[in-house]
Amino acid sequence: MMCENCGKNPATTHLKTVVNGVVHENHLCSYCAANSGYSNIGGLSLTNMLASMFGESISSGKPISKRCECCGASFSDIAQSGRVGCSECYTTFRNELLPSLSRLHGKANHIGSTPKEEKGEETSAEKIKKLKVLLSNAVKAEEFEEAAKLRDEIRALEGEENNA
Amino acid sequence: MLNWYENVDTLNPLAVSSRIRLARNIKGVPFPKRMNNTQKEETLESFKKLLDGVKLGNVGTLKYINMETVPEEELFAMVERHIISPDFAKKQGPKGIVISENEAVSIMLLEEDHIRLQVLQGGFKLNEAYEIAKKIEAILSEGLTLAFDSQLGYLTECPTNLGTGLRASLMLHLPILEGSGSLATIAESVSKIGLTVRGMYGEGSRSQAALYQLSNQVTLGISEQAAIDNLSAIANQIVQKELAARESLDKKSLEDSVYRALGTLRYARLLTSAEMMNLISSVKLGVEMGILEDIDPILPMKLLIETQSFSLQKANGRMTPADRDVLRASIIRERL
Repeated sequence: MMCENCGKNPATTHLKTVVNGVVHENHLCSYCAANSGYSNIGGLSLTNMLASMFGESISSGKPISKRCECCGASFSDIAQSGRVGCSECYTTFRNELLPSLSRLHGKANHIGSTPKEEKGEETSAEKIKKLKVLLSNAVKAEEFEEAAKLRDEIRALEGEENNA
Repeated sequence: MLNWYENVDTLNPLAVSSRIRLARNIKGVPFPKRMNNTQKEETLESFKKLLDGVKLGNVGTLKYINMETVPEEELFAMVERHIISPDFAKKQGPKGIVISENEAVSIMLLEEDHIRLQVLQGGFKLNEAYEIAKKIEAILSEGLTLAFDSQLGYLTECPTNLGTGLRASLMLHLPILEGSGSLATIAESVSKIGLTVRGMYGEGSRSQAALYQLSNQVTLGISEQAAIDNLSAIANQIVQKELAARESLDKKSLEDSVYRALGTLRYARLLTSAEMMNLISSVKLGVEMGILEDIDPILPMKLLIETQSFSLQKANGRMTPADRDVLRASIIRERL
């Protein structure tokens, strides 16, 4: 049977609709079916795709019984729904989430804007970045005294970060 | 103050609207899906306190609306005007929005995230829209502790929004690219550089009236400005392609189809929503190309939005689909 809409391709989707007790039958090819909003198989939903990515962290490791203190979500709640429970889950389940997150986004770190109150906390990381640039410039320019000073400053800041 | 669809970008009439969306959440509060009703009411109350009555220079005063009390027609009329998402209109339980006088700013509260801030502007105005969004975000981050992580950026319910939480979109009118079937190829190539092309009402929606939304997908590892610049550059290329395709058309047959569409709109007695959109798209094309010089350039989009089913019912009360088709045809006859 050919598609009754375009007449060009074989009909692969067969629809039966009942309107006020009258049965209508339609036979469409896959292209016309997709165009009119019908397709043979439901599409892959984002939720399902995310769920399967997170799910891999469960099957590959030992069961995780802890729950997020803020929202009560367990990691399997997140893995099943593909949705995170609250902002604290990103801390509670960081080790479980990070592998899937980097598969989703690549090994990228946030480089966009930051909220107001974060700016104070951010500075140590930002400072280290800037100092490292200065350090490599100083080394290139063979200003070793300056470089040593910068190196010490970076070490001090990194020490602070690790203690925090 | 004018709505987004009452502004026409004279330099770039194909760019119908620009949208900036920021996803934000409050630190230490469960995401909406895991909140109980008391938590929801309390959170809404704190948003109301923070934002209701705030005056913003170019968009007017912000107003809080409890969405649970808004009738269904109005909810879906808001979807038709692009103020809220279809999912938010259907969502049960406590929810609210904060909206500016001209509807350029709308903040969906307790949608997927606690805060979905949207700024909508007519024309190719992504940077202007982002400037407004930043101002409102500053108010939010002053009054609330936003969930943020220095590595993952703004924390969101759906991990695909992590980072900037920014979705920038441009709605483009691309009837000739659509007709020539080249949009599928374009969609495929833009997806390789982290952009997506979708229908008029976003995720999962089919295109109507040849209006397509071009949006960024990548939110982590790219700054807001870089995302907006990329999107603008690609949008310009697509617009140039559409314009070139228009130039290559046979003038007489193009004119013929534009005037036929106008003729039908001017004389039809019954117009379904789908037919109206198709015909308006042709008339809009005629206006953009200078074929229909005596039609006000804002009229096609204004009619397209205001004669959709829920917007008609909001203004005229509930009615049957057949009555809507009659009313739609008569409004369009009068205004064109």
